[in-house]
Amino acid sequence: MAEIRDPHEDILFAPIEHSGRGFYWAVAGLSVLILWGAIAYTVQYTQGLGVTGLHQPVGWGFYVTNFVFFIGISHAGTLISAILRLSKAEWRRPITRMAEVITCMVIFIGAGQILVDLGRPDRMMNVLRHGRYQSPLLWDATSISAYLTASLTYLYLPMIPDIAILRDRLGKRRLLYSVLALGWTGTEHQQKVLNRAIAIMAVLVIPIAISVHSVVSFVFSMTLQPAWHSTIFGPYFVVGAIFSGIAGLIVTMIIFRKAYGLHYYLKPIHFRYLGQLLLIMALLWFYFTFAEYLTGYYGAEPEEMKVFWAKFSGPFWPFFWSMVLCNFVIPLLCLTSLKQHTVGKVLIASLAIIIGMWLERFIIVVPTLSFPRLPFPHGVYAPTWVEWGETAGSLGLFALFYLLFTKFFPIISIWEIREGREHSVKEVEERILSYLPGEVDEKPGQLAKERHGTST
Amino acid sequence: MEHPPEVSPLLVRRLQWLWLGGAFLLVGGIIVWIIHLIVASWRLDDVIQASVGISIVAIPIFLVFIGVVFYVFWGVALHGGKRED
Repeated sequence: MAEIRDPHEDILFAPIEHSGRGFYWAVAGLSVLILWGAIAYTVQYTQGLGVTGLHQPVGWGFYVTNFVFFIGISHAGTLISAILRLSKAEWRRPITRMAEVITCMVIFIGAGQILVDLGRPDRMMNVLRHGRYQSPLLWDATSISAYLTASLTYLYLPMIPDIAILRDRLGKRRLLYSVLALGWTGTEHQQKVLNRAIAIMAVLVIPIAISVHSVVSFVFSMTLQPAWHSTIFGPYFVVGAIFSGIAGLIVTMIIFRKAYGLHYYLKPIHFRYLGQLLLIMALLWFYFTFAEYLTGYYGAEPEEMKVFWAKFSGPFWPFFWSMVLCNFVIPLLCLTSLKQHTVGKVLIASLAIIIGMWLERFIIVVPTLSFPRLPFPHGVYAPTWVEWGETAGSLGLFALFYLLFTKFFPIISIWEIREGREHSVKEVEERILSYLPGEVDEKPGQLAKERHGTST
Repeated sequence: MEHPPEVSPLLVRRLQWLWLGGAFLLVGGIIVWIIHLIVASWRLDDVIQASVGISIVAIPIFLVFIGVVFYVFWGVALHGGKRED
């Protein structure tokens, strides 16, 4: 089979073949953040959770907020990639790998927040040994395990042909690439097996991803706490997760586009489409937020109203209104017209959404605990440097993992781009022709051949 | 041009089996854990329906994962190069 090679393909190998000064500076910068996180964790581990701002009644703060936020960001990858793959959105090709890597990295970081929040990580063994499936926390552990396994598989399978390219092209890490490439030579049988496996995983991963964030929401909604006990928390959390996930993906794409010179692959059209998707999600998010708060307000249940007013005009108002600004107003202003300055506008909206969605998670977790239903005294949560350090360290760890991944594997799927050039242009034309009114074509592809007057 | 050093096919194949074994170990470990929770709830006379209900969904999903991985290993690594359609 003759391959149509991309003249710009070398750009994709460059980060794997060489490491410039920028890479080492980035590693140094991220290491500082990780060091801060490590020191903070060491202090917390040796002195206990008393060094944090967590207390009674606010037992969940930054860590649980980070957990929900990071698990939400993980929806960037597998879910978006699977949906685009199954819907045969051809513009997905340069972005799926980036999205899938985000998922795998961020799940580890998200799940790690629970270990940090436990204070004593050895207590995790109690969950493993004496866990009870009546607890939504254990549902979480199970669904996150499933999601992680699915995401790792879904990341690895489409990488096999690219790993084989690296095995054949690069002189270094031959053993690693040879093992992971599974002897891939690109035979038709191998392609058939791989395509079938990717399709199965793409179908499977969508309900799993949706279930993960629904189950995360059940941790809150299965309680009778004010502003948590909501039937729409499942879809509300899923929408928020996809929303923040797309924003996270866009920011990652823009950073690596700039750092690795990927302008040839990641074009304004990709950002325009993702920007449109982001706008739809912003409207959906607003709809769910409006429905959630209106229902609570209309019911006017006294304990619920304490939390409601704490968010609207009480101690949490700056966070609540910043969230509305970041998640709705700024995206709406930036994304309604994307004809000019597409990348800049999409970047501003995405950064705002990432901040806004973190704030959303924060004002879901903390205000309810500050004004609990049970007769505890009310409390205000103020994080200490330990929580800030853990958060910075987690972000640094995620960025470092991601950066290191790009030094081992291509961040854009090389074989999928090649396949796009070789087959998909023709296939898309055939597909469009098959949608249009005309004679019913029993043999796919016949119509296009007749139009072009070609026969093979 | 200088050719990169060749790697031993036997070593590669052994490491690939090891890699597959790792995948089986991960998924197998999770399944064993889920079964352990069912047994624990049975032994403690706890609400076993919750454990069984979730396991009925979770265990087949993990089995499908490992099935897909094994299918790819079988189709690509073991028989991929032999069959030319």
